[in-house]
Amino acid sequence: MRRVAMIAGLAIAFGASAVGAYQLAPPAQESAHWREIAWPFPRDGWPGGRAFRCDGVCVGAELYVRAKRGFCNCDTGVADDDEVDRVADIDLISPRFAAVAAGAIVRVSAMQGRIRHYGLVMPDGTRHAAAGIALSRRCDLLVAVAQGAGDANTVQREALLFLETPEMRTWATAALDGR
Amino acid sequence: MFRRVSLAAALVLFACSTAAEAQKQTVGAPPEASNMKLVGTSDLQARSAYQPTIHHQGDRWIAYIGHHGGTDDVPAPVNPMTGKAESNGTSIVDVTDPARPKYLRHLPGQEGKYESGGAQMVRICDGKGLSKGDPNAVYMLRTFGSEAHEIWNVTDPASPVLIARIGGLKDTHKSWWECDTGIAYLVSGAPDWRTRRMTQIYDLSDPAHPQKIRDFGLPGQEPGSTGAVPTELHGPISTGPDGNRVYFGYGTNKGGILQIVDRDKLLNGAKEPTPDNLRYPEISRLPMSAFNGAHTTFPMLDMPIAEFAEDKDGKTRDIVMIVDEAILNECGEARQMVWFADVTTETRPTMISSYTVPEASGQFCQRGGRFGSHSSNESMAPVYYKKMAFIAFFNAGVRALDIRDPYHPKEVGYFIPSITSATDKRCIPIEGGERCKVAIQTNNVETDDRGYIYIVDRANTGLHILELTGPARAVAGLPKG
Repeated sequence: MRRVAMIAGLAIAFGASAVGAYQLAPPAQESAHWREIAWPFPRDGWPGGRAFRCDGVCVGAELYVRAKRGFCNCDTGVADDDEVDRVADIDLISPRFAAVAAGAIVRVSAMQGRIRHYGLVMPDGTRHAAAGIALSRRCDLLVAVAQGAGDANTVQREALLFLETPEMRTWATAALDGR
Repeated sequence: MFRRVSLAAALVLFACSTAAEAQKQTVGAPPEASNMKLVGTSDLQARSAYQPTIHHQGDRWIAYIGHHGGTDDVPAPVNPMTGKAESNGTSIVDVTDPARPKYLRHLPGQEGKYESGGAQMVRICDGKGLSKGDPNAVYMLRTFGSEAHEIWNVTDPASPVLIARIGGLKDTHKSWWECDTGIAYLVSGAPDWRTRRMTQIYDLSDPAHPQKIRDFGLPGQEPGSTGAVPTELHGPISTGPDGNRVYFGYGTNKGGILQIVDRDKLLNGAKEPTPDNLRYPEISRLPMSAFNGAHTTFPMLDMPIAEFAEDKDGKTRDIVMIVDEAILNECGEARQMVWFADVTTETRPTMISSYTVPEASGQFCQRGGRFGSHSSNESMAPVYYKKMAFIAFFNAGVRALDIRDPYHPKEVGYFIPSITSATDKRCIPIEGGERCKVAIQTNNVETDDRGYIYIVDRANTGLHILELTGPARAVAGLPKG
C-alpha cells in the first residue's frame, strides 16, 4: 500500500505522465534501491554518465544514464524506434542486440522520447533483456539503458521511477546544461 | 595590505573581462583579416546559409546558395523581390562582378526552422556533360528540406523550372553529383533504413527522369539488420570514372569514418542491401577518434611532396583532407578540426597531420556560437587544388591553408566578417535559463575558377566574397594583387 502511495505521490509531485508499456506493468511488490557504481564503459565520443546497480525487486539489474549534448533533431525529438536503436547506448553493453517489439512513447519529468525493449547476447553468451530510453530536450538527449537477466518489465518500471527522483532530475538538468 | 590585495584582484578581474570584451564582435566594427580582403557582399535576405556552389554559366558567374530553415524569431523572412514571406530555400546570385553581387532569385524550400527546413544543399551541372541532358541547359540538384531532392533547369538562373523530384525521405544532406556522367550520390534518409542518412545512388544523366541505381551504407544500417547502428553518413565525394573512387565521410562531431570505395564495384555490384553486398565495394576504412566526425572528405590524389622528392619511392602521395563539424556553442565539445590522411596505400590509410585555429588567438570559446571547423571548399579547379584549402571555422571565420606539404599544413590567411544587425544570436543553457551572444558563424566556403573565395554565414550574416592578398597569393601562384 505504501508503495502504491509512493508511486502516486511521485507521479503527482514530478509530473510523471503516461509511460507507455510501463503503465501496463503490474505494481511492484517490493522496493528497489539503486546503488551507484563506476561507469563501466571505456571512453567514447560522449562524456561518461552515471551507472547504478539494483538491490531489491530488480536485484542485479544495472542502469546506465548519460547526457548526449548536440542532437540534430531539435524540432522532431526522438522521432522513431530507429533513433532509440542508434542513441540509447545498448551497443555499449553488447553489439549483438535486437529489438523484441515496437517501442512506445515515454515521458520522464518534462522530457519526452521513446522506450524500447531489446534482447541482448552478452559477451559470455548469456541472454539479457534491456530497456533503452531516449529522451530529448531541445537539441540534447538524455539516454538510459536498464539491463539484467531478470524480468524486463520490473527493471523498466524501477528504472523509470528512479529517473523521476529529485536527485536524478537535478543531475539530468545539470548534465544537459553542460554543468 | 588587504587594500593592495583587493586592488590587485580587481585589476586582474578587470583585465580578464576587458580581454574577453575585446573579442566580442560588435555591429559596425571592421572585419578581422590577414592576407585576405573583402571584395563584395550580399545579405542573402538574412537567411541562414549552408552550401555555396559557384558556376561559370555562359559569360556569367552565378552563385547558388542553399539555406537552412528559418529561426524562431523569423521562421520565413520576407523576400523583398516578391514582398512575401518565404521559407528559406535557395538563393541565386549573379557574382560576375564580385564587387557588386546581384541577387536574382530566391526559390523557397521546405517550411521549417534551423535544420528542419530549407534547402541546404545545392550542386550544379551543365547539360552538355550529361548524356541525355539538353546540351544548352544548366541543371541544379538541390535538397528540399529533409523530404526530397529536386532537379531544376536553371539555364535562366532568374527563372528556374522544376523538372524532377525524388521524395518520400526522412532526411537529406550533402550530396555529390558527377557532372561528366550524371551519377549522383544523394545523401538521403530512406524510410526503411535504420540510419537517418545513407546514400541513394541515381543516374541523373537524364535530369528529367532520375534512374535509381542502388542504396548504400555501412553494414548494420540496412533494413532488417540488428545490433549496433554505425554512425550516419555526412557526405561523399567521387573522383568519377577516371579516379574510380568515392570517399565517404561518416559522422559529424563524433566517431568519424573515412570510407574508401571502388566506384565501379559500387555502381555495378549486386544491389540488394545485404551486409555482403554493402561490403563488396569497400576498399578500406579509416576510423577516426571518437571525438571527431567527418563532415567533408576531400581527395587530393597524386600530390608531389617536395620533402620526398629525392626518395626512391613515395614521391607523390594520395591525400584526403577530412574536416570535422563543430556542433555545440562556446566549445561545449571536443575540438573539431581538420585532418590530413595519407591514403596512398589504400588499405592502410593513415592520419599524417592536423590543423586547428589556436583558440587563444581570438578567445574564440568566449565569443559566442560555434568555434571549430565545419567544411572546406570542394572545387577542384586548378587555381587552388592541391595548393590551398579554405576552411570554414564558424566564429573564427574562414582560414586559408597552404597545403602543398600536407604533412605540415600552414595557415597563411584568414577573414572574420563583421557582424550586422541581421546576425542571429547563439545561446547556451545556464542555470535557470540561457545566455546568448552574437558572433559570426562562417558555415561553408567555396571558390571559383577565378580565385574568388565565397563564404556564407549560418547566423544570417549573408555572403562575403573574398580574395587573397600579400604572401597568400604567392602560395597559389596568383599574380601580386
